[in-house]
Amino acid sequence: MIRVTSNMFPDSLVNQLARLGQRQQQLQSEVASGQRVQFPEDDPPAVRRVLDLQAEASGVAQYQDNIARLKEQSTVAYDAMNALKNVSDRAGEIATQADGTKSQQDLSAYATEVAQLIQQAVQLMNGKYEGDYLFGGTLSNQPPFVLATDSNGNVTSVTYQGNTSVSQVEIAEGTTLAALPVGANSTGNGPAGLITDSRTGADFFNHLIALQNDLLAGNTTAIQSTDLTALQADEQNIVGQIATTGALQSRMDAAQSIAEGRSASLDKLISGQADADMATVMVQLNQAQTAYQAALQSGARLLNLSLLDYLQ
Amino acid sequence: MSLGLFGTLGLAARSLQTQQAGIEVAGHNLANVNNPAYARQRLDITTAPPVSTALGPQGTGAEAVSIQSLRNALVDQQIVAEGSVSSYWDAQQQALEFAQAGLGQQIDSTTGSNGTSSQEGLAQGLTDLFNEFQSLSTQPTSLAERQVLLMKASALASQFNQVSQRLDGLRTGLNTSLSSDVDSANKLLSDIANLNDQIISSEINSGEAANDLRDLRQQKIEDLSQLVNIDVAAQSNGGVNITIGGVLMVSDKNVLDSLQTYDAGGGQMLVRAATAGTPLTLTGGSIAGTIDVRDGTVAALSNQIDSLAALLINEVNSVHAAGYSLTGTTGEDFFSGTDASNIAVNPTLLNNPSLVQASGTNGAVGDNSVALALAQLANQTYASLNNQTFSQSFAQTVAALGQSLATANGQISDQQTVQEMLQQQRSSISGVSIDEEMTNLSVYQRAYQASARLITVVDDLLETLVNVIQ
Repeated sequence: MIRVTSNMFPDSLVNQLARLGQRQQQLQSEVASGQRVQFPEDDPPAVRRVLDLQAEASGVAQYQDNIARLKEQSTVAYDAMNALKNVSDRAGEIATQADGTKSQQDLSAYATEVAQLIQQAVQLMNGKYEGDYLFGGTLSNQPPFVLATDSNGNVTSVTYQGNTSVSQVEIAEGTTLAALPVGANSTGNGPAGLITDSRTGADFFNHLIALQNDLLAGNTTAIQSTDLTALQADEQNIVGQIATTGALQSRMDAAQSIAEGRSASLDKLISGQADADMATVMVQLNQAQTAYQAALQSGARLLNLSLLDYLQ
Repeated sequence: MSLGLFGTLGLAARSLQTQQAGIEVAGHNLANVNNPAYARQRLDITTAPPVSTALGPQGTGAEAVSIQSLRNALVDQQIVAEGSVSSYWDAQQQALEFAQAGLGQQIDSTTGSNGTSSQEGLAQGLTDLFNEFQSLSTQPTSLAERQVLLMKASALASQFNQVSQRLDGLRTGLNTSLSSDVDSANKLLSDIANLNDQIISSEINSGEAANDLRDLRQQKIEDLSQLVNIDVAAQSNGGVNITIGGVLMVSDKNVLDSLQTYDAGGGQMLVRAATAGTPLTLTGGSIAGTIDVRDGTVAALSNQIDSLAALLINEVNSVHAAGYSLTGTTGEDFFSGTDASNIAVNPTLLNNPSLVQASGTNGAVGDNSVALALAQLANQTYASLNNQTFSQSFAQTVAALGQSLATANGQISDQQTVQEMLQQQRSSISGVSIDEEMTNLSVYQRAYQASARLITVVDDLLETLVNVIQ
């Protein structure tokens, strides 16, 4: 039989209360924060996994931001291209109508309209998004196209002063995407040129200038034989670019929804590692409280008992 | 021939003295009920030497021969040994708690404003930096993005600085507590030598164990074992020899050697024997715990943070230096500094965000290839980081610290159980029970009353005898 001495009760009561108090404190902080792990000491492997998952989640969120921005940029470019197609449509109409039946007066009026169309197209192609020129390649701090006119207001030249490289933006780990075409690319490789592209034979501004000059000169034969077909090729190129942009946007949408899905599943994984199971924790907390109360109650009774109460 | 009336009167007087001694011992026990160093004492009573009479040997009552202290040497020795182990882990745990707080890395799984759960501390700083490089790559000419990038990079740099400072502070603190522990240990060694002296001379003079002095010495020995693991050898003259790390420190009343801290190079404070000059390899106690945690987990943590910062500085700078700024300048570093203690964003860039070199081609301000390459460093693995990315390597560092702390916590809770068991055992053997002492008190009181009664009876008899003669 173990000999029980006066200080064994209070000593072990203090130890038990300390342990139960610690347990309650731990469970309470789990309930309050909703987390099973908070500090690295709580569960080091889980902390490691959570940190890795959070780094990945944060990267995925950034990809979503990248995609969103890329898409805005692409939408602005898309609108500009659609407007450019309207210019091209009108130029095509003019070229078709400018046959031998038109008087020089009519042709001159057309020529003036073509000059206006060129100016409008240059304006479109010099469009900006958040301070950057859209179609100048990576030389985005200067207008990509420069227009020159003579004293009569006729366009003499439109020169491209951009370059033929575009910025690639990461939309998923290791996957980059460029949202924009460049204004002109005669190198035969690299990003597509919206106005001029040696691969499709497009050279929209020069063809418009030729149309304007032929209209001024009344050279309807050249218009019908050369300019019209050349403008059709330009239109094809623009329509092709619009289609490409549309396809890029759906690719961005797909990447976005993949990223969203990944984000959601990462959150779930993080929550699985770090979050407390509320029902279990509440039950455990109740148990700990009950044990604490019982220890206090029994302790209080035992501590008051002494032989001294019975000795006279 | 028998004892006679006077002999009986002497017997009664002896009995009174014996019972009184019993009451005194019970009183001494009761007085020390809350003294943790105290071991309960017991009065040894034997029958007084008999006298031979015609009836054969006749008893002459009882006498108190000695006061015994109830101790168990095995339990005492266990408590000394386990005390060293407990305080070793306590010292580790304390330091690691500080390191954990210094690192400032917590898990917050609540969903933040951006729809994903946010990190904190350096982990957040690292992902923020690379995310800002990403953002810059989507808008390489934007001054706003550059400003945000520099802000986040500065925040990361000062997080590195703070962690480095806190860990330095922790090292200084550990060295301070090391030397104060060594001072306390030396004080205890000389206390023990003093007590040895008192115990030896007291026991030679009285021939009896100096119980209360021995209690006090045992407490000093236990206090010492908290600081450093010791070997205690009891000597036949009542003294104890204390040996630390193989060096005899206390023998009888002499302090032969003491502990001393010394700089083993690079500010690494270790402990040696002052007179013998031998470095001591300690395995238990808070001194060893402090040294081990300082040179183990805390040093490793600090190294890992430093090499992470150093690699980040090098990698970011080498990519950044090849780029071109909005004004066409090139070759500028992004970060200055060499490790976590002095990493900072290049002040030239801070003064003029347009000098951040995001473009890969001179003059092409819309080019983002350098910003993109910087962003892609986030997913690059490095051999020097065990083929992990920056974030993964940091997470590993955090988990390693957590593991050390979790180990210390586990050891401490195991150790607590052991200590409690040993304390219970000691209480059971040496502890004072008020009930027991009260009972003893009553017993001695009754015996005293009875002996007094004997005197009254003998007195009556004597009176009767005297009256008969008259």
